[in-house]
Amino acid sequence: MERFTRLVGRAVCDAAGRRACLLDLAVDLHSGDHPPVSHLWLRRADGVTGLLPWPRDTTMAGGAFHVPALALAAEPEPVLFDRLVLLGRDVLDALVLDLAGLRAVRANDLWLRPDEGVYRLVGIDISAWAVLRRLLPGLVPAAEGGEGLDWRAVEFLRGDPAAVARRPYRGVVARLPAPQLADLAAALPYPHAAELLALLPAALAARVLERMPPERQTQVVTALVLEQAVALLAAMAPELAADVLGQLAAPDALRLLQRLPPERARQVQDLLQYPPDSAGGVMTNVLVLAPVDSTVAAVIEYIRPQLPGPDFVYYVYLVDDPEQRRLRGVITLRDLLVAPAATPVARVMTPEPFAVRPDWPALRVAEQLLEHDLNAVPVVTADGRLVGIVTVDAALGLLAPAAWRDRVPRVFS
Amino acid sequence: MSPLPVAAKGTLPAAPRRPAALQLAIRGRVVRLRGLRRAPRGPLWWLLVLGPGLIAANAGNDAGGIATYASVGAKYGYDLLWMLLLITLSLAVVQEMAARLGAATGRGLLDLIRERYGIRWALFAIGVVLLANGGVTISEFIGIRSALELFGVSPWLSVPLAAAGLWWLVVRGRYGRVEHVFLAMTLVFFAYPIAAVLAHPDWGQVARHLLIPSVQLDPDYLMLFVATVGTTITPYMQLFQQSATVEKGVARRYYRAERLDAYVGAGFSNLIAAFIIVASAATLHVAGNTEVESAAEAAQALAPLAGPYAQALFGIGLLGASLLAAAVLPLATAYSVCEAFGFRKGVNLDFRRAPVFLGLFTTLLVIGALVALLPGVPVFALLIAIQVLNGILLPVILVFMLRLINDPRLMGELANGRAYNLLAWATTLLLSALVAVLLASLLLQALGLAGPGAPS
Repeated sequence: MERFTRLVGRAVCDAAGRRACLLDLAVDLHSGDHPPVSHLWLRRADGVTGLLPWPRDTTMAGGAFHVPALALAAEPEPVLFDRLVLLGRDVLDALVLDLAGLRAVRANDLWLRPDEGVYRLVGIDISAWAVLRRLLPGLVPAAEGGEGLDWRAVEFLRGDPAAVARRPYRGVVARLPAPQLADLAAALPYPHAAELLALLPAALAARVLERMPPERQTQVVTALVLEQAVALLAAMAPELAADVLGQLAAPDALRLLQRLPPERARQVQDLLQYPPDSAGGVMTNVLVLAPVDSTVAAVIEYIRPQLPGPDFVYYVYLVDDPEQRRLRGVITLRDLLVAPAATPVARVMTPEPFAVRPDWPALRVAEQLLEHDLNAVPVVTADGRLVGIVTVDAALGLLAPAAWRDRVPRVFS
Repeated sequence: MSPLPVAAKGTLPAAPRRPAALQLAIRGRVVRLRGLRRAPRGPLWWLLVLGPGLIAANAGNDAGGIATYASVGAKYGYDLLWMLLLITLSLAVVQEMAARLGAATGRGLLDLIRERYGIRWALFAIGVVLLANGGVTISEFIGIRSALELFGVSPWLSVPLAAAGLWWLVVRGRYGRVEHVFLAMTLVFFAYPIAAVLAHPDWGQVARHLLIPSVQLDPDYLMLFVATVGTTITPYMQLFQQSATVEKGVARRYYRAERLDAYVGAGFSNLIAAFIIVASAATLHVAGNTEVESAAEAAQALAPLAGPYAQALFGIGLLGASLLAAAVLPLATAYSVCEAFGFRKGVNLDFRRAPVFLGLFTTLLVIGALVALLPGVPVFALLIAIQVLNGILLPVILVFMLRLINDPRLMGELANGRAYNLLAWATTLLLSALVAVLLASLLLQALGLAGPGAPS
């Protein structure tokens, strides 16, 4: 195996005796787990710099590469970022994701393995020895092995979310659970975090975004390409999407809102009518509704198709007409399932439940929710229309000390 | 209510309406979106923008800075005031670029240097930063010590308490709160304008010297000029500005409003510097007391000339300035080291998640406080050594910043414009020349070829 930093600067000679200096190596990151070096980036003795496709019969002798011909087309340094990357310029010293260790690490050196006349990128060295060896070549014993990381367990990010739309990535990250991804993303600069989200399926990315602090959410959403941001917001719970949009500058928020799928856009818009510090500003409007004038069995059948949608399903709200949404009672899912099937639901529900108005201060509502020992409190307008519920974890998020807030788990909302 | 399927990309409306106002029509009824953010209004809206810029620039008015400004005023009266206008312009440009780099990339300066220019430059910068900032931290604790000694507080009480308080603030606080406390600390700088008024300066003279440059080719004058520039524009200010902008979480799309922070910071800190010069010029210089070596000495010398209140105000200013810088310097250092090596960093994190960052911050505070408690620390020699180190680092940092901020791949539409580049390169060249003058003269002094004040 060879260290990348020991190859750079070597001479490259051809049959005609022309010489060049190896400046960098280009690799197509998408050609396999251990991608081969595809090009040499050279400066010829006459000062011409250019890219030379890796010749198949390259040999290594006397510390120099021997190639058949140094046919360079003079060209400026390539902006290859989409397909090819330059190992020295782009990967060496960069912050990369260690998927095995779930952390961001710096690539202190790169390991290349000769394989049938070509070098393959097989791993990175993340040890401090690699740094010392680069600083003091010859003084650090070569035997001091570094902490090697197989390239298969590395995801290289470019810091540009738009790059995701142009080229597929390895995408192993998508197998990680959302909390770990959120932790990983927190250690990255925000353009890289945005790129990471763009790599993930929208539903998973949405859950990672939900766990980020508000400033981070703003940074990430504004760094994404418009379509990526829209897909992400569409996959979030409406109240969380409304929170994210509420932090953006109004024109940006409106632009995103208008591109959301119509039904989701309507839900988010409904929530955005309320100032962020009111009950309406912290409620969710995806909940389980059923008509009050039916039997228990009919209600169970009625709510079954609704259950996959909301995060909070434990309370079923009973209204006189699902369009008018006048709140008449509430019943827990458990009481509903244990009640005799033929009983009218109005007989077993809790009638006239405690409710709050959307314009009440959010903090007061959160306290009332805890005082009433509820898991969620319905939000009802002055004319009796049920517009949403404030769940217990929204309340906790408001009442917990600031230092805890980003650790409050989001279970129901 | 029906469950919502996660929408596929293909279902998006092809031609969205133009966003008009904060009102949208939903199913025929017009809805006001009160949940959306509106641009802050009212006469004090700009206060909301203040943050890293004001803090970083004011940390430059630290114990060493106050000593320099006071000795400028004591020795040359109002003569050097004019250069503060130039310095303000340069500082504003440099600090704004640091903030812009942070907002556009989400990364600190050392992170970018390591990735773009390799490990050697990063390690060089880290080495210098560790030494220089460690030294400045010591001088800040000496500033805290001597400021409170003016009020009769024992150093065995003041220094450990200050260190513990700052440690608690940063380790247990979150970034937002720490920023607010730092911003509140900058209020103590208003002590200097009041002290300046108490000193009854000749305001006509002040205005004249502020606007009309007066150049003397006296070596002492040049050295003081260089020292003033060096203490006003120091590498840790750029490092802190960029790293704190990153931690504050500024999005590149909303960066433009944040520039004001850097500009206000540069303007405010140099205005305070001007008041320090005016206060000492109107008293010490007029009384013929022209040699001042430290900020506390300046405060003491002020008492018989401008009254005990002026001394107390100078003392309070020194205390606040030293406290602020004693927190900012270890923070800037810890940010930089962690950026270069890829460790997790941030005021928001705890010891479990960022052991290196907080460990380094703690170590620097402890060393600074301990050394400051030792009797007979050679403060003057320490400040000279720091100046040399920072002088060597400053041109390196500025050149890297300029190259990075002109990289279109990194900055996109936030890259420098032509006028900005002109100003920034002029600043860099001027500062490099001044640093060369400083280093050459120090070298000559060290070799015994020329004393301070000897004709060169």
